[in-house]
Amino acid sequence: MIVSAILLAGLYATMSYGLALIYGVMKIVNLAHAGVMMWAAYVAFILIVHLGANPFLVPILIAPVFFVFGVLLQRYVVQRVMGAPPISSLLLLFGVWLIMQNISYLVFSGDTKAVTTKYTLMTFQISGISISINRLVVFIVGVLALVVLRQFLGHTYMGKAIRATAQDKEASKLAGINTERVMETAFGIGTALASLAGSLMALIFAFDPDFGRSHLLKGFCIVVLGGLESMIGVALGALVLALAEALSVLWLMPALQDFVSFALLVIVLIVMPGGMKELVDRLIRP
Amino acid sequence: MLDVKNIHVSYGDAQALWDVSLAVSRDEIITLVGSNGSGKSTTLKAISGLVPLSSGEIRFEKTRIDRLHAYRIVEMGIAHVPEGRRLWPGLSVRENLELGAYIRTARNVKKETMEWVFKLFPRLEERISQLAGTLSGGEQQMLAIGRGLLSKPKLLILDEPSLGLAPLLVDEVLETIQKINRQGVTILLIEQNVTRALSLSTRCYVLELGRIVLSGTGQDLLADERVKAAYLGL
Ligand SMILES: Nc1ncnc2c1ncn2[C@@H]1O[C@H](COP(=O)(O)OP(=O)(O)O)[C@@H](O)[C@H]1O
Ligand SMILES: [Mg+2]
Repeated sequence: MIVSAILLAGLYATMSYGLALIYGVMKIVNLAHAGVMMWAAYVAFILIVHLGANPFLVPILIAPVFFVFGVLLQRYVVQRVMGAPPISSLLLLFGVWLIMQNISYLVFSGDTKAVTTKYTLMTFQISGISISINRLVVFIVGVLALVVLRQFLGHTYMGKAIRATAQDKEASKLAGINTERVMETAFGIGTALASLAGSLMALIFAFDPDFGRSHLLKGFCIVVLGGLESMIGVALGALVLALAEALSVLWLMPALQDFVSFALLVIVLIVMPGGMKELVDRLIRP
Repeated sequence: MLDVKNIHVSYGDAQALWDVSLAVSRDEIITLVGSNGSGKSTTLKAISGLVPLSSGEIRFEKTRIDRLHAYRIVEMGIAHVPEGRRLWPGLSVRENLELGAYIRTARNVKKETMEWVFKLFPRLEERISQLAGTLSGGEQQMLAIGRGLLSKPKLLILDEPSLGLAPLLVDEVLETIQKINRQGVTILLIEQNVTRALSLSTRCYVLELGRIVLSGTGQDLLADERVKAAYLGL
């Protein structure tokens, strides 16, 4: 169970880092993240179940398409409310999410769908622990995406420009950085990560047009836990949440599992508003 | 080289600049002086495209640059070192400098420019792997200037580079700015200390309440009774 929690944490991290990246660069909370995850789940469903595509390649192949979707969304929609009070972008992106949901209800109806492949129930054993191949591959793809992204952010001009814009947008403009282009790229990457997480999740969980909502809440929880700046913080936050969820099953009804992230979010906000980073800082420098 | 003609700038309802005009020719060092809130920083921000004009125009080498995106103005050859340094504190000294050379023309000559900047500010080379946020105030100012130079500007704009520095460091920084000027970079500079500003520059503009009230060479202004009374306390 602990192992499966760790495997799930990889997926949570992929999803949450997209949120953190968009927040970091643009200072907006992307509610449409959930809609992207849901759409990616449906696209994966069509490609895998109807067209017989390889379930582990599909998430990687559709991510670039969602990158473009994110860039266009930023350029033609979100850009209009940049600089306006936060409530504008919240409402706008909430609206985008609702539209995406309604399109899915129209096209796919509200029925629950699931992607079952020959890998779904396959497991293997390591020292007595049985591990789902499906979940393992999903974990590897999710974590690999974060590793690639980390290299990109650390070693390319655009990656550095993204970090610089997150730290000081005005200084970035003065250095000759086209910050609008940077924001489009960051929104595209965040959207691609959401799609990756959504399509990978579709390999594990059933979904409907409301899919992504509880995950969005988990994403907030993880980002608050891990802090917005660091990928490692987000990974730790994801791990804490996945473990808390797994352990909670021992004491709570499974139906209450989604409640865990909400409770954790509230507790963290009250007890340590700086997230785990603050906790670690305090431990290092008492 | 730079022509600012009758610009007006407002922040919302509050007008900050009225009918400001100034000109900078190649190889000059121009200083802007004036008390706090007189509109010096706003003038520089208008030039580098950070705040829009409500009227007037700005030309750089005959081309209109008002209404251009800030990054396009950097590409044209103007680097603006902002008030308070505005480094990226979580990036290393090297990364701060590298991103200074973000524009395409500067990327190709980044290595040579970097060597030039290290010759001007040897201390930056010693600190190359440190995070910018951990540098001392003087080093941060050197890095901010160095970052500006990495875009290979024809015109370097500096907003109070001496702010918050110890007097010895101020002299060092201002001397380096003169050196940069002698190496072919035109300078437009805000300096609070009027005596220093006048001795440093080829010409000087005095701002008061968002308007240019005086301008001229250092000697002219030093001899001006109004300047003596208002700024030098003579
Ligand atoms: N971002 C801003 N929003 C509103 N008012 C501003 C802003 N920046 C400057 N001002 C106002 O514009 C005037 C000129 O400011 P500034 O150009 O910073 O002066 P200086 O650099 O000479 O001290 C001041 O009255 C200041 O309060
Ligand atoms: Mg100022």
